[in-house]
Amino acid sequence: MAEPNAAPKRKRAKFTPAMRHDALLAYVLLVPTLYILFRIFIVPIFQSSVWSLYKYNLMDGSDPKPVGFGNYVDIFKLQDFWTSMGNTVYFTVFSVAAELAIGFFAALLLNHAFKGRLLFRGMIMIPWAMLTLVSGLLWNWIYQPGYGALTVVLHNLHLLPDTSNPLWLSSSTKVVTFSAIADIWKMTPFMTLLLLAGLQSIPHSLYEAAVIDGAGFWKKLRHITVPQLLPTAIVAVILRIIGAYRVYDILTVFTGDAKTSTSYLTYNYAFRYFYLGKASAMAWVSTLLILILVIVYMVLLRRNQDSHL
Amino acid sequence: MESTNRGAGIRRWFTRPRESDLMPPFYLWLGIVLLTLFTLGPFIYLLTSSLSLTRDLLSGHLLPHSPTWLNYRHLLGGTVGSDFFHALRNSFTVSAATTVLTIVVGTLGGYALARLKFPLRVTLLFIILAMQLLPSISIIVPLYVMMRDGIDFSIPFTGIGWHTPPLLDTNAALIAANLSFSLPYAAWLLSGYLQGVSRELEEAAYIDGCGKLGTMARILVPLAMPGIAATAIFTFLNCWDEFIYANAFTQTAASKTLPIVVREFIGKHSIDWGLMTAGGVVASLPPVIISLVLYRYIVSGLSAGGVKE
Repeated sequence: MAEPNAAPKRKRAKFTPAMRHDALLAYVLLVPTLYILFRIFIVPIFQSSVWSLYKYNLMDGSDPKPVGFGNYVDIFKLQDFWTSMGNTVYFTVFSVAAELAIGFFAALLLNHAFKGRLLFRGMIMIPWAMLTLVSGLLWNWIYQPGYGALTVVLHNLHLLPDTSNPLWLSSSTKVVTFSAIADIWKMTPFMTLLLLAGLQSIPHSLYEAAVIDGAGFWKKLRHITVPQLLPTAIVAVILRIIGAYRVYDILTVFTGDAKTSTSYLTYNYAFRYFYLGKASAMAWVSTLLILILVIVYMVLLRRNQDSHL
Repeated sequence: MESTNRGAGIRRWFTRPRESDLMPPFYLWLGIVLLTLFTLGPFIYLLTSSLSLTRDLLSGHLLPHSPTWLNYRHLLGGTVGSDFFHALRNSFTVSAATTVLTIVVGTLGGYALARLKFPLRVTLLFIILAMQLLPSISIIVPLYVMMRDGIDFSIPFTGIGWHTPPLLDTNAALIAANLSFSLPYAAWLLSGYLQGVSRELEEAAYIDGCGKLGTMARILVPLAMPGIAATAIFTFLNCWDEFIYANAFTQTAASKTLPIVVREFIGKHSIDWGLMTAGGVVASLPPVIISLVLYRYIVSGLSAGGVKE
């Protein structure tokens, strides 16, 4: 009696016993991953959204007090927050644009067939592999007034009069600019390698056809390389924007001024002043901004169809 | 006759690229030289500075007049040395433990995401990708409180289980925190790699009676080994470079990692550039060597969607 009933039911759910077995096995295998991520990511990010609605000050020892969106109102009224946002945007745009430009030409060079190519491809990895902190310290050393390499080299090349000895890091804007240069030095290889992979997938026949049509360097670049490379480049740029936005470690080397980046300001609100509520609100503003980029990135991945989504 | 031939040859060097290449050799090599200067210049300056006497450094000599190991002897001896060795050991313990945990757990989860069909698979992949891209600052405040109070592993409503002691100033805190970015990253990357392995071999083994798990261990994992290696390398390098969690969660000399200790060479009392550059060289040596030796894996990881920040 039950038999004829059960079969169509199973069919409706489109679930065979083998599939159910698969799903069960999948969940069992995923348990460790999901448990860990739940404990150290999902719970904290949820906690942070709750605390962003509380006045939660670790220093005065008072209990958390709900304040609604008070923390968000406070930080949006805070001049320092907007300054830090402006600096972060400036840092991100400047460094990612430069990395894209330098990385593109570096990838073009390294895509040529020449002796020792592998050696040069390996060489460009050195800045990228170094500790971020060390590259920050190194560039800080280069920018030292008087005896740092930048001043010495400019003096020797007579680009800077001998009498002039500029303080390269004398203002917050200069600090952001010069730390962006340190970031460009370190992260351009990342861009180069991604773009190089993109270049290698452009079919040679396209260039050969263009040569027959008499196209020169710029024409080939404009009509073949750039359009073919565009999807890869967009993905690389989005990844770098997400990476550059979170800048914190390099800046701590250059300055004690937390207004130079949003991450820095958030960090100081949390671990210097212990305003956990306000810090959580700031963190959530960053989280939402990055989430928008993550969604754009996912849409692009699906469109490029080179992913397993 | 001969001279005109040579003239044409030289002219071709400037004007005509070789087949299927974009740039004529002259511009190619000009670009390579500039790229090498940009990439290696600062790095070589770091090396030469670390071999210089303070006297030379402060008088603006880019190359040491009398090369010396003095900075390295300072770095590795006395109290500075003991702090530095502690940091080396901590960095190694944290990076290695995180990598092993990440790879074991991530391979199980990655297999489920790659090969098994189950409801919410794509949603889960999206969530994991988002976790990988969100900045540490999003969750750092609740993680800090979690480490301060210790992690609770008890089963709800039963009172059975284990509550860890406070984890601030321990390697365990950093390992747990690092998992928040390394695990989503590994699960995402590994599921991509495992999906790339041919299904035919797997099905053959399955028919031979291996069972799903047996097939995974005996066929799939060995075939995906290059991908697993790439993921492990990235995880290790990311942990070696990690700064913001280490800065927030460790205050004692016994628990600090390399980036924190190197950071402290500048600031506090006076700046010893020789010591700083020597420390920078030693701290950067492991990742630089790993990247150069395992270049092939890193490139394959990058083109598969790897992100190292």
